[in-house]
Amino acid sequence: MQPINRMKTEFLSKSSNEAFARVVAASFVAQADPSIDVLADIRTAVSEAVTNAIVHGYDDTEGIVTMECLLYSDHVEIIIEDFGKGIKDIAQAKTPLFTTRPDLERSGMGFTVMETFMDSLEVESEPGKGTKIRMTKQLEYR
Amino acid sequence: MDVKFAKEGNTLIVLIEGEIDHHTASRARARIDSKFLMEPVKNMVMDLSRVTFMDSAGIGLILGRMNRVNSVGGKMTLRKPKPEISKILKMSKIESIVELDA
Ligand SMILES: Nc1ncnc2c1ncn2[C@@H]1O[C@H](COP(=O)(O)OP(=O)(O)OP(=O)(O)O)[C@@H](O)[C@H]1O
Ligand SMILES: [Mg+2]
Repeated sequence: MQPINRMKTEFLSKSSNEAFARVVAASFVAQADPSIDVLADIRTAVSEAVTNAIVHGYDDTEGIVTMECLLYSDHVEIIIEDFGKGIKDIAQAKTPLFTTRPDLERSGMGFTVMETFMDSLEVESEPGKGTKIRMTKQLEYR
Repeated sequence: MDVKFAKEGNTLIVLIEGEIDHHTASRARARIDSKFLMEPVKNMVMDLSRVTFMDSAGIGLILGRMNRVNSVGGKMTLRKPKPEISKILKMSKIESIVELDA
């Protein structure tokens, strides 16, 4: 299936780009005129994935994060990727409340938020290479 | 994001305005913790009525403050979250640990 529209952006792993990424994703999806709730869910899920890339992928060192949005007639696909340290055990990482950084007051709920707020979530990761998150959301209309 | 403080008896009222994410939470955390230490207060009310966005960093911010307040025998209350953030509050089950004052 061909997307109706597509965009891709890359930015440095700076925490100020968390807000940038969720605003960009939401404005891109807004052209399909989805409900306010759908946009709010997308904003939250993007914030989780981008924050994970910055906090865990790069441990707050400088790296590149990419975000791609593909717009289809009835859904959107969002792909967020980093080239940082990767995840050893993906199943364990997705477990609610699991975090490797309790010292930073992370709550271990990021993946659970992405899974709950989006319709699908796929995680591809390799230690030392990086992490790719692929999420989709059905676009219900007002 | 902006954090404002008020005092009611031995309760510190923390009014958070704007968006809570990993970027804004670290500064808010430092400001709230030093205020809570400085003032002769025991309890904390976090007023969320002006929070327009919150992700899991907000859950960490709330639970971290709750632990501090509880460790001095105080009580933590969340006040008036907007519908925009009540989905994540419900999902995280924060409402079953922290008192909610709608
Ligand atoms: N992009 C990533 N690169 C490396 N490790 C990651 C990445 N994303 C997640 N992880 C690992 O998966 C764990 C769980 O992630 P999740 O987002 O669910 O929780 P958290 O980020 O630790 O806490 P929270 O998101 O609630 O603040 C993280 O603690 C981290 O170890
Ligand atoms: Mg996370």
